[in-house]
Amino acid sequence: MTNRTKSLRLLLATTALAGWLAVGEVYPVMAGEPDVLVASIPTWSPQSSERLVRLPPSYLKKSLDRDFAESPLGAALNETEAKIGHKGNTLADLQASVEQSEGELRLELRHQFLAEKRAYLDLMANQIDLHRQQAKTRLKLFERMLDDLAHKKRPDTPSTRELVAKQTLARDRLQSSLAKVDLKVFETATMPESRYAVKYGQNVQAIEQLLSRINTHGMNQSLTAGGIEMTKEEFIRHMAVEAEAELALADQDDTILGYMAKLVALDAVSLSEEAMDAELADSPLPGNAGPAKAVNFFMSN
Amino acid sequence: MKPVTKAITVAALAIALGTATGVARAGTLENLERERAFLVKAFLDPGLGTAERLAKIDAGKPRLIDLERMVLRDDTLTGRNTPVVRKAFANYDLTFLVHASAEKSRALVDVWLEQIGVTTDTVMAAGAVGN
Repeated sequence: MTNRTKSLRLLLATTALAGWLAVGEVYPVMAGEPDVLVASIPTWSPQSSERLVRLPPSYLKKSLDRDFAESPLGAALNETEAKIGHKGNTLADLQASVEQSEGELRLELRHQFLAEKRAYLDLMANQIDLHRQQAKTRLKLFERMLDDLAHKKRPDTPSTRELVAKQTLARDRLQSSLAKVDLKVFETATMPESRYAVKYGQNVQAIEQLLSRINTHGMNQSLTAGGIEMTKEEFIRHMAVEAEAELALADQDDTILGYMAKLVALDAVSLSEEAMDAELADSPLPGNAGPAKAVNFFMSN
Repeated sequence: MKPVTKAITVAALAIALGTATGVARAGTLENLERERAFLVKAFLDPGLGTAERLAKIDAGKPRLIDLERMVLRDDTLTGRNTPVVRKAFANYDLTFLVHASAEKSRALVDVWLEQIGVTTDTVMAAGAVGN
């Protein structure tokens, strides 16, 4: 056996063993145990939910996406995606080379191809964990935002409702009696309208103009999903469902990755056996010939 | 992110937050109560002659009208369930005295006396008991 063949066998055996370990430990086929690598995952701490909940719906998603892109988690995800792209190119090149090669070179290239597939799976596992981390963070944030909205909308006590009803009645009464009061107080007396009264009228006009512009502003338009208009709460719930879906898909991705890892391990074992078969063909195992075949040697002097 | 984009983003966020938060303001109701106390003092001050009393009441009216409207237009008071706010809105005629008297075409002091339970009948009844 040459030194080159010996080292190749060693490598193949290591790959097969590592492949099996990978299947069992790092890529659980049954999803739901992704915490093995989570400790080293970079984090994303979005801005406070109280602030986000005040943003217009159309701006909310963009603001979150930008915040994520600028976070260590976003940077890590970008970097991993770039590496996966490069690794995919390497795999394609190797696959083409394997098909065109023969003999010992082919065996070596196949081993290299397997090693690259393992590295690709490592990167994919890392990417799935990053995606899962992002989805979990988003989900927690949306839940906090929904809590904030619910807190704001919490039902009033009976006495508060009674107070608000009285305040509404008082305001209606003021509105309906405004002209009469002005006529009585200002027209019959010599006193002029106060600075507050004059400025208030001007300000009301200005406010109405601004409100009209705000209501027609593009960034203040309600969002739609499938042609149906959504409130802010509905939009946040919609994004929470999307984050949930991403988490579920990450579990499914883990399953796929587990099967891929298993195939890599099986390929490694197969390749290892092929190498051993070739070696055995060169130097067959010692036979086990019995003494019966030598009887003739003992039949004469 | 480019510095300019970042600055615009921060500004947009600050404006959005500032608008949503609103300007915290308190004291319209307290100012109204203080001004109304001066009016009641003018009603009751035994040291004032009739002309002087009327002049004081008329001088306070415009300020009270403004303050009453400020209280009624103050959104920060909406649903603020405190004893002071509850008491203020429990009796429109007593709290928003100038508007109530103008609505009813009656003198300020008449509306005020009526709201605190002093009417011609009660005064006459008190006189009869005294005699």
